[in-house]
Amino acid sequence: MTTYIVRRLLLMIPTLLGITIMVFAISRIAPGDPVSLSMGPGGQLDAARAADVRKARMALYGLDKPIPVQYAKWLGRVARLDFGDSIKHHRPVIDIIKERLPITITLNLIAFVLIYTISLPLGVLVAVKHKQFLDRASSVLLFMLWSLPSMWVGQMLIGYFCGPTFKNWFPPAGLSSNYAEQLPFFPWLADRLWHLVLPVTCFTYSGFAYLTKQVRAGMLDNLRADYVRTARAKGLSNWVVIFRHAFRNSVIPVITIMATLLPAMLGGSVIIESIFSVPGMGLLAFEAVTTRDYNVVMAVATIGGVLNLIGLLLGDIAYAIADPRISFESSV
Amino acid sequence: MNKQQESKVSWGVSYGEMVFREFVKGWLNVVCMVLIAFLFAVAILAPFLANDKPFVIRIDGRLYFPLFQDLRPNDYCVFLAAIIAGVQLFLVRRNRRRVEPSIRSAVLWRQIWVNTGILLAGVILLLIFIPRRLDATDYKAMVASGKGSGAIFAPVPYGYARTDLKMREQPPGREHWLGTDDVGSDVLCRLIHGSRISLSVGFVAVGISSIIGIAIGAILGYFGGRVDFVGMRIVEIMMAIPTFFLIITIVAFFPRSLLNIMIIIGITSWTDDARFIRAEFFKLRNQDFVQAAVSLGLPLRSILFRHMLPNGIAPVLVNASFGIAGAIFIEAALSFLGFGVAPPAPSWGQMLSLGVSTTGRFLWWLTLFPGLAIFFTVLAYNLVGEALRDAIDPRLRKAA
Amino acid sequence: MSRDSVLLSVQGLSVSFSMEDGIAKAVQDVSFSMKKGRTFALVGESGCGKSVTALSIMRLIPDPPGKIVAGGITFDGRNLLELSERRMRSIRGNKIAMIFQEPMTCLNPVYTVGNQIAEAIELHQRKSAREAWADAVSMLHKVGIPDPQQRATEYPHQMSGGMRQRVMIAMAVSCEPQLLIADEPTTALDVTIQAQILDLLDRLQEQNGMSILLITHDLGIVAERASDVAVMYASRIVEVADSRSLFAEPLHPYTQGLLKSLPRLGVSARRLRTIPGVVPEPLHFPNGCKFHPRCPIGCGDKRCQSVEPELRDVRAGRRAACWYAEGYETIEEHKDYESKYGEHKRVPAEG
Repeated sequence: MTTYIVRRLLLMIPTLLGITIMVFAISRIAPGDPVSLSMGPGGQLDAARAADVRKARMALYGLDKPIPVQYAKWLGRVARLDFGDSIKHHRPVIDIIKERLPITITLNLIAFVLIYTISLPLGVLVAVKHKQFLDRASSVLLFMLWSLPSMWVGQMLIGYFCGPTFKNWFPPAGLSSNYAEQLPFFPWLADRLWHLVLPVTCFTYSGFAYLTKQVRAGMLDNLRADYVRTARAKGLSNWVVIFRHAFRNSVIPVITIMATLLPAMLGGSVIIESIFSVPGMGLLAFEAVTTRDYNVVMAVATIGGVLNLIGLLLGDIAYAIADPRISFESSV
Repeated sequence: MNKQQESKVSWGVSYGEMVFREFVKGWLNVVCMVLIAFLFAVAILAPFLANDKPFVIRIDGRLYFPLFQDLRPNDYCVFLAAIIAGVQLFLVRRNRRRVEPSIRSAVLWRQIWVNTGILLAGVILLLIFIPRRLDATDYKAMVASGKGSGAIFAPVPYGYARTDLKMREQPPGREHWLGTDDVGSDVLCRLIHGSRISLSVGFVAVGISSIIGIAIGAILGYFGGRVDFVGMRIVEIMMAIPTFFLIITIVAFFPRSLLNIMIIIGITSWTDDARFIRAEFFKLRNQDFVQAAVSLGLPLRSILFRHMLPNGIAPVLVNASFGIAGAIFIEAALSFLGFGVAPPAPSWGQMLSLGVSTTGRFLWWLTLFPGLAIFFTVLAYNLVGEALRDAIDPRLRKAA
Repeated sequence: MSRDSVLLSVQGLSVSFSMEDGIAKAVQDVSFSMKKGRTFALVGESGCGKSVTALSIMRLIPDPPGKIVAGGITFDGRNLLELSERRMRSIRGNKIAMIFQEPMTCLNPVYTVGNQIAEAIELHQRKSAREAWADAVSMLHKVGIPDPQQRATEYPHQMSGGMRQRVMIAMAVSCEPQLLIADEPTTALDVTIQAQILDLLDRLQEQNGMSILLITHDLGIVAERASDVAVMYASRIVEVADSRSLFAEPLHPYTQGLLKSLPRLGVSARRLRTIPGVVPEPLHFPNGCKFHPRCPIGCGDKRCQSVEPELRDVRAGRRAACWYAEGYETIEEHKDYESKYGEHKRVPAEG
């Protein structure tokens, strides 16, 4: 197993390099360059002096060197986790990310746990009650849930539950109330959770709808399989057949779904965090794009890619553990 | 029995017809197709449905037709494309009845090329000969002041770019059926014109991503070996960065325009199609008809696109429907965040973002109606995708 | 129980499936009985209802859409159709066991082979996990798998087709059932492996004294291994006999056609003989005798087209369902025929 992990990690390296190349390429292909933008329109006024300043700045940022050299230098800095400074916040980017990243990861983890905890039993239940009312009604509902646009849901939740116009049950923004610092631990925790309810709901509903449908489909296929008939022919009870046999096989593809859910949720965090003003990576990305804080944008893209890859690696390991047909020797 | 009737009996049903028949068995699928057709109609006829210029007005005794004179080349192109698409659909039906199957696809391609040629020629002519005329006359004021009379306005008599700061943020009422937004534009009118943006983003983005995905997937799947190894690494790199992150990264660096958005969504969404086609081509590569084509010495593009592709295209078609829904959603999300098309261009996502005003008021009509529009459009395309998948798969299972 | 006593008796079993396009009567009025310690073969083409019959004995017909609409199944003195599901479960895998056609898909891919065998032992014999595992290993040895200790820890995908079928057999006989239902056990295997598997079944039958209900479409296997045979066609049994008599003198035209179509060593012929036509679909069964459209005697016969012949005792130990089988028709029926339709094709037996 360790050789498998080591091999997968080694295979990840070219992909990581590729991510950095892609991010760097985007930043360089784009029209305009950081220096002109940082100089602003005022820099055009005195042509000769502007040219001098420009040259100096370019040398400062290393923009006068050929592109591969620039890339190598940037890569070297990135490897040391130095993404430069944020133009807006005037702080090293890596510090800002260290503050924001845990929040996004926590939100995603909570959502993941919720999704899997609810979807797995629900999917099994509707598959067992196939073609009955519960199954049909939930299929329709789940499909509609899956198609709901997340910003609409967020906006509606805020409008209807957070404001003076309708109900005022939840706070519309932020992770903690203003007075939270002064509270002892459990009330502080409760306050946090209260703030998290709506954002987590927005994170969860779509992945939950998708996963439940997949579990249901997998269970329906497996319940019709020959080995289930064999298990029943051995005299096993219905529940044992459903859980020990059919479900155990259905779980396998569900693990690989994590590979699709994770990037979707990371991407969705941009929208949801900006709606609810949750200070995570998504909101950081949003602010960075709006203010053209290029260092931050590139850092977020790179780190987002790294996070995704780690998640995929964990998913692959889990998949190899769950399915004995995949041996650790074979390359995936 | 004359020759035509005889041959109709022996032609049987084509793959597309079988899928279509299976598809229309579900009433929900038909409803979705109707909804999609309705959206198309709204998008095509938008200037006639919502316009602040009247169809006809009498000024000083003379009849003027301001709405028709104000139609832009864009609108004419849309009309032309719609007419040609309608003609093409009609021709497809006619081909099924009149033309023999073995030459049917060749005939169809020729018709498509001819029609596309007509369309392109027409578009170029229009762009050359119909310049944009700016007509900022306020016809309603004319009617009100009595200078103009006998005016017939469109059902929603507002222009999407027309602002009216006196009527900002009005809830739905008699004047503005769905209310107004933060600068006083009518919501219903912007919804109608916004359908053009949503649908065009959907189709163009999916078109781009499908073409790229099919091309890459075909090469990887057909050649295999080292080409596949390197190619899959590249595909993995594309898939490694979460799509939305990648999109906003690109959006951060490039100027904002509708075309850019379409292209960006297109070039970031091709990985799924590539994987589907690659898997199909792996399967098809060893089949006898492919080996026969290779042994005949047919050129590579013929083998890939004339022989293998029609057999492997089913999952791409299914994915295309989901892709349209996804592209519409992404465009709305981008516009919602402020990274998409800029006002006054009407985008459903942008309207959605105005739902909570700067003062914290909840303007429910700006949240509900654009949201419903996005929701129903996405829902319809998702349902069509699911139904297509069901129509294609069980049929294959039965046959196997 | 004495050696020749009846172990399983199926009387008038009828099973129907509700499909989208109608109700398919997969099994109609099937009756036969099996003696203890003997092998009974149920023969027929694909789709004739033999598998459904076997599944009905185990009560494994999925309830929507299938249903046992009539009949009784008596096993060891008890009517299986009246038992509670719990009682039935204690019989499945324990007193009656079943093996299926496709060993690859019939074994759960995520559990080891030893685990799956031990599961049945743990359930029915109330042994601990360790004891059950030891039993599983010895069962693997009994069915002729070399190195059973190691094999028991392997997964189905690591084994060949023949070995998987042996595993299935080990699973089935682990609790020493009185009846083993084998649904086309060798159809998916190579010919050489087929012989080995059948030999194994014979050996186990001798050792345990169990009866085997062998379901197959291969008449060669029937001739070699079965002592009694029932032939099924289109949801009904058309002939029952001991296997020697069946092959020596088939009474039903369908059986005759099947036997004629077998290629024979030493006989030269240009073409293999076939039964013309195809097996009818359950949703579109013909009226009257279901075989009549393909029957050399009954095709065109008015009675065969309208009245379905029931399965009757024709001689000692032989039953058939054909108006023109020797010894089938009574004199009254013969006269009735002649008065209705005129000339008769065959002279009935006396008395």
